[in-house]
Amino acid sequence: MKHLILKNISKEYGGTTVVRDFNLEIEQGEFVSFLGPSGCGKTTTLRMVAGFEMPTTGTITMNGAEITNNPPNQRNVGMIFQAYALFPNMTVAQNIGFGLKIRKETESAIKERVDEMLALISLQKHANKYPYQLSGGQQQRVALARALANRPQVLLLDEPLSALDAKIRVSLRSEIRAIQKKMGITAIFVTHDQEEALSISDRIVVMYEGRIEQVGTPFQVYNFPETNFVANFVGTLNSAEAEVVDSAQGLLNMDGIQFKTSQEEMKGRSTGDKIRMSIRPERLSFAAELKKDNVLDCVIENITFLGSVVRIQVKIGNARFNMDTFNNPFLELPKIGDKSQVTCSQEAVLVYSGEATA
Amino acid sequence: MKRGGVIWSWFWMILGILYFFLPLLATFIFSLKAVKDVYSFKAYVNVFNDPAFQLRFPASILWSVLTIIAAILIFVPTAYWVRLKVPKARPVVELITLLPFVVPAIVYVFGLVRTYSQPPLLIVNSPALLVAGYTILSMPYMYRAIDTGLRAIDVQTLTEAAQSLGAGWGTILFRVIFPNVRVSILSGAFLSFAIVMGEYTLAQYLAKPAFAPYIALLIQNKAYEPAAATIISFTLIWACMGIIQVIGGQEQSGQIAGGH
Amino acid sequence: MSQSQKRDAPKARPVSQMSWAWLGVMPFFIFAFMFLLYPSSTIVVRTFQDAETGSFTLKNIINLMRDPYVLGAYSLSIKISIVTALGGAIFGFLLAYAAIRGGLPRFMRSSLMTFSGVASNFAGVPLAFAFIALLSPTGMLTNWLKAVGFNIYDYGFTLFKFWGLSLVYMYFQFPLMVLIITPAIDGLRREWVEASENLGATTFQYWRYVAFPILLPSLLGCTILLFGNAFGAFATAQALTGGSAMNLATIVIGAQLRGDVLGDLGLGYAVAFGMVIVMTVVMIGYSVLQRRAERWLK
Repeated sequence: MKHLILKNISKEYGGTTVVRDFNLEIEQGEFVSFLGPSGCGKTTTLRMVAGFEMPTTGTITMNGAEITNNPPNQRNVGMIFQAYALFPNMTVAQNIGFGLKIRKETESAIKERVDEMLALISLQKHANKYPYQLSGGQQQRVALARALANRPQVLLLDEPLSALDAKIRVSLRSEIRAIQKKMGITAIFVTHDQEEALSISDRIVVMYEGRIEQVGTPFQVYNFPETNFVANFVGTLNSAEAEVVDSAQGLLNMDGIQFKTSQEEMKGRSTGDKIRMSIRPERLSFAAELKKDNVLDCVIENITFLGSVVRIQVKIGNARFNMDTFNNPFLELPKIGDKSQVTCSQEAVLVYSGEATA
Repeated sequence: MKRGGVIWSWFWMILGILYFFLPLLATFIFSLKAVKDVYSFKAYVNVFNDPAFQLRFPASILWSVLTIIAAILIFVPTAYWVRLKVPKARPVVELITLLPFVVPAIVYVFGLVRTYSQPPLLIVNSPALLVAGYTILSMPYMYRAIDTGLRAIDVQTLTEAAQSLGAGWGTILFRVIFPNVRVSILSGAFLSFAIVMGEYTLAQYLAKPAFAPYIALLIQNKAYEPAAATIISFTLIWACMGIIQVIGGQEQSGQIAGGH
Repeated sequence: MSQSQKRDAPKARPVSQMSWAWLGVMPFFIFAFMFLLYPSSTIVVRTFQDAETGSFTLKNIINLMRDPYVLGAYSLSIKISIVTALGGAIFGFLLAYAAIRGGLPRFMRSSLMTFSGVASNFAGVPLAFAFIALLSPTGMLTNWLKAVGFNIYDYGFTLFKFWGLSLVYMYFQFPLMVLIITPAIDGLRREWVEASENLGATTFQYWRYVAFPILLPSLLGCTILLFGNAFGAFATAQALTGGSAMNLATIVIGAQLRGDVLGDLGLGYAVAFGMVIVMTVVMIGYSVLQRRAERWLK
């Protein structure tokens, strides 16, 4: 039996549908991210699981029991908010012990659990401080401990890292993941940051305009985006309009330049179709050493140093493509204006119908 | 919010609305009853034709305007200068601007009268003392409004920009700073206007003609005319608050009340 | 002198700049000294001065402590201030909360703020008359109630005594509460309700453990300020009662100003001095509590 089942969920506010036909089953102990731009319905869906919103249609089942219309204080799910939402009038220890106090557990049981939680987030020294005396990262860890102290069935995280500095964001997200694994708790993590979702999740649910676009592991979502939206939203992407010139051979024509794609991408396409063709920057490389299915003449337009990666903008025909190459101290970079050749395999050329979205 | 909560919200709001409007309604209806058995504006006509009103109402307007001018001339340069050059003076200046809250109007006028009614400081009969007193009473509102306005603009950069274009201090103050804090000055000015127009204590004890003491006199001697005067006074306050809302475009921050 | 100060005065030497800069605020200090500090300090100085000899004395303070008339006035002022501060604070808070978080249409909030701005400034003589028109023995509401067989004056109500005056004071007390408590209510974050519900708390438990403790410093601070607001009020009581029926501390000072009713000039100063002390305590209490509240509500 699945741990958490969302079935045919939809949500309307005064005639506007913000979530539609949402179906998802989550395993015990699984870490699932809802990923999408703001307004895609991810937070609303999370809030329906928490009980702060009631679905217009559909059911939510947890551990085999339907909880669709249970009030939030009778669900036993733990919620982490973007803005921490610690109670400012309580110390760290009192915040963590709040849920247990509400359940009328004994003083000693509360103290024991609070100490255990403090150890988990390594903030033992700060037990008697007030939230305003802590940094943002520390506050969010306290919020995590407070949610977990109640031994919730599911942990819900609503953009918990968005308010933090870049460095803390990265370290806290691994900490959250480590704690979640250690406790074996089911978690739903809402984010608009694709890198965050890719790095932390067992599975990602990509959402757009209230609908699920794709559900899959980070590997699947990144490498095999099912829709144009997913391809554009997850990772960076080169995208250009092209036409299918030979669907059997997988040949595409972009402004007179020929690209070859895989048979897989040509399913359901026929010769003459106007399509969008997409290539991830890291799939392109200079053709000097190893030539692959596509070899393309280009002019170097711009070079951006991004640290571990160097992004080189090249012009192929009239279209601009980004190409990512790993940095190393011995890298010989071309000069701007140089003529060169880039290459990629046929599997790297993804084909979608319609207009670009993201 | 649960349904029961909304019902309670309406309950308190309706109670508040009744509290607010019933006295005004009673006054208004009463003000229309000057002629027996019909509603009329006779009481208002009587008030407007009363020579005492014709003296005291414009007098109050004059006090208000003089107060506002004095307040602007003293507080704007001070607030500007404190922000720009002497931030060390800031705590002292702020403390002084809040002092009028600590000294109730009646205590304040007591101090004024006792201080300035004996030689060599015999200025208790000068209208200037009343205006100075009102300027002090308006200080917490005016100074705070101006200082908030100055905080919103970057005084330092504006001044430097003006200096680099060759402006002198007079030009900077009147052509650069004043126009940029105009909204705050106006809000403070209308609030001061409302307060001075309704002020009773200072005018009464410094024995100067003013609107509020006039209404007090009416209450003792007439029946319907004070109702008309009360409605006039209320309309003035309402107009001032309305203007503040319109020019400010947002809610007034907490005002600590005036001369009750 | 800090970096930034040097930067904005490139043409002048820093040291002389400093002293000249202070000259710029002198008009303000001279004005404040002449018309605020000096007159106020007169009260303090003369409280501790013998009216005849001018030498230092505690006689006036001692006389104040012994004078049943003055003590009665203080006690009445304090009573009416406590009653109207509590009443105004409770009613004002409920109104503000209802308008801001009570699920009412949005325009109710801005209307309430406008009304409160008007009502908190509609005080003194006109206010007194508005209540005379409403609740005097021939007032509108009195007559309405009489018409349904309920004469409030038969039940001991008088507009011109303690409870009547309290009711009138409430007219400027609760709007002031609305204006000053609004930032605190706005500071109550919605996530706190959700977080507490999420942790299993009921609405009552949320109020008991979270919202009320968070609001408490603000509520106390505002109540204290309302106390001071009523304590210093003079014109309303003077106009309503003609200065006879209710001997408030402010009324005593007013009477002393018109003619030495206390028969002791020094005692008059002491009464005024006492009021300043009370108001100072009020303002200090308010600012301390306000600072505490801000720490949480940031």
